[in-house]
Amino acid sequence: MIVAERKPFDEIKELIHGYKKVLVVGCGTCVAVCLTGGEKEVSVLSAELKLSNKTESAPATFGEATVQRQCDFEFLDEIKDIVGEYDALLSMACGAGIQFLAERYPEIPVFPAVNTTFIGVNKDVGWYEERCKACGTCVLGMTGGICPVTMCAKSLFNGPCGGTNHESCEINSDQPCAWHMIYTRLAKQGRLDNIIKICPANDWRNQKPQTLVQPGYEERKASAE
Amino acid sequence: MNTNTKLQTDMEKIDMATDIAVIGGGYIGLKAASRISESGYNVILAPQHNDTDLNFSILDVPLTEMDRIKALETEVANNTNVEILPMSTLVEAKGVPGDFTLKFVSADTVLEKKAGAVVVATDTAVNPLNHIYGLNPAPNVVSLSEFENLLASEETKKEIQNNEKTVAFLVGFAHEGSPLLMKRVLNSVSELVGMDGCSAYVYVNNIKVADDGLERLYKQCRDNGTIYFKLQKAPTIIQENENLSVTFHDPVIRNDIELNPDIIVYEESLIADKTNLSLAETLRIDPGPMGFLQKENVHRLPVNSNREGIFVVGSARDVQGLSKSWIDVDNMVLRVKQLIGDGTKSISTKAVVDREKCTICLTCYRCCPHGAISWDDKAIISSLACQGCGICASECPMEAIQLIDFTDAEMTERIKEAAAVEAPNAPKIVAFCCQNSAYEAGMAAKAFNYELPAGLQLIKVPCAGKVDIHYILDALVEGADGVLVLACHHGNCKSESGNTYAQWRINDAYRKLAQIGIEKDCLEFATLASNMANDFARIVIDMEKRIGQKKD
Repeated sequence: MIVAERKPFDEIKELIHGYKKVLVVGCGTCVAVCLTGGEKEVSVLSAELKLSNKTESAPATFGEATVQRQCDFEFLDEIKDIVGEYDALLSMACGAGIQFLAERYPEIPVFPAVNTTFIGVNKDVGWYEERCKACGTCVLGMTGGICPVTMCAKSLFNGPCGGTNHESCEINSDQPCAWHMIYTRLAKQGRLDNIIKICPANDWRNQKPQTLVQPGYEERKASAE
Repeated sequence: MNTNTKLQTDMEKIDMATDIAVIGGGYIGLKAASRISESGYNVILAPQHNDTDLNFSILDVPLTEMDRIKALETEVANNTNVEILPMSTLVEAKGVPGDFTLKFVSADTVLEKKAGAVVVATDTAVNPLNHIYGLNPAPNVVSLSEFENLLASEETKKEIQNNEKTVAFLVGFAHEGSPLLMKRVLNSVSELVGMDGCSAYVYVNNIKVADDGLERLYKQCRDNGTIYFKLQKAPTIIQENENLSVTFHDPVIRNDIELNPDIIVYEESLIADKTNLSLAETLRIDPGPMGFLQKENVHRLPVNSNREGIFVVGSARDVQGLSKSWIDVDNMVLRVKQLIGDGTKSISTKAVVDREKCTICLTCYRCCPHGAISWDDKAIISSLACQGCGICASECPMEAIQLIDFTDAEMTERIKEAAAVEAPNAPKIVAFCCQNSAYEAGMAAKAFNYELPAGLQLIKVPCAGKVDIHYILDALVEGADGVLVLACHHGNCKSESGNTYAQWRINDAYRKLAQIGIEKDCLEFATLASNMANDFARIVIDMEKRIGQKKD
């Protein structure tokens, strides 16, 4: 899932400074699961904002709404009847959701309340770790299911580098060397020949805004256009 | 299974599996199987290791009981209502009370069994402590269990008697020990000094006699000629083949006292069965101290674990001998009958999941201290297992869980009302009080006419774990000058960790308040017991003074 973290309160306050009616919009999918932007966090953030506004002479007011996913127009439509009452939207979704909300309601300023941090896994309640950089060229089949793009500081496809240091990475002794982990995993599975193979370099030119149309839906897209 | 999407307060009718799984095939497991089947339930008995071949002498089982245990073994083996699985390991346990699915692996076969309840009846294991005394096991240097075996066999017993052996027992220097172990030592001593010509020295640290008849047994042995040396530290022992020497310094006569026994019996500790920890993990029950299966919590009445329908009996939960273990078995049978009855039960729902809101993040499943939550495509709360503490509801990121008696809407209303009550010239204090402790203490403080703040309003919660972080912030938003969260003491929470969750949330709230620029004085967490009316009054008055001064 996509993992995000709440922005510092001061930054959020600064972003919405001057707006008198703000709708805090949560998202019920990834950011809810990582305990950052679901319905509860929406209540908590608006309570914080209300508390902080109490001392002001003309306090702003805050509304709350949480949709199933901010990355789907149909769910964003569910708040269309109330957004008009607000002069700013404060989104707690990931960067994609925030942009889609802004695209759906282009006449109203939209501000982010969270920083989207990574694609990761859930280790325990409130504890997440990055596992994927969405590089577009998955090599996990060769690397024993350990991503060198994410886990190696240099994102090396053919490692390790000279900085591997007793199972750790040279940048930090707490950071395990991804290629040491890959070696250990492959050795355990008897697949060490994988590590000899040269993995072709990723086409980093793919790091531009991308669109994916599933092959079975190309005609659908064409007909819509 | 509750699949309702909206709140409902109806009684739920539940059909339960009536087979009861007993894990552990030693003398406690056998007794459990026998007693449960007497109550009309079928039993699945799953020995964890070779415990049918138990060395009974390691327990406080008098030799006269051995026949009874053998008879019990035969009875269970011939009982058609008891299915004895081959020696197996429990590898998976899914489901809820009344509907557990257990997976056992035995050699290379996998056995799947349905059970309404699970009874963990593992044995204690014995850990010899000779190394702590620097002793090497030898024919004349034996563990307590080995010495018991020598006395149990007519042949070796006669040998001891004919040679008029002098035996030195070492007790309580290698570990603290327990009355159960003391009883075993004294039983052996008593038998030994009853034999003509034999004598016993007992080198002992603290003499543990806190059990039925132990003090008497201790004196009886003394009257029969046993010599006790009560020492602060272990005597010096020299082991040279046949020659044994035990020396200690007597502070009264200011001399070293050396004795040369024929046999030294060193102590052992009783430790939890080695399978306990993996059983705890599989069954999702909290392990307690020393690898036993019950946490130190006053609400874990005998045989209860933190999960409804999973019972821990005898030495599975603590160091216990035969008589106490069998009392546990009787208690367990009562609890099984109470839970399973005739296999159907109507029960009121305590908490419901709004299946439209649930995003199946598993937070509730991971936080529930009672293992009451499972899932299909959404979270499901077992009405039988749920204790209504509300930890899940307060952790749910989508506010998808509501307690029937404490819905968020009602709580928000209650907070608004409480924060709106005006008391002239007094700060407004909203105190969230756990109904098991602080609320009772608060009511008592009122009844005893203790001086309480004029602006104090109590809000009852089922457990401090139900105090959502936004309740705290909402109370301040609505105008409260101070907020108190009053929980049960550590180790006293009915839901094990409700007080811990509350404490964590308070710490989180402190961070948030600091960012907003609000001083932390307005928020306090404290723990109480229900009889602490005086402390309740002190805590609330202290807060009034603190925030009252700020207000002025």
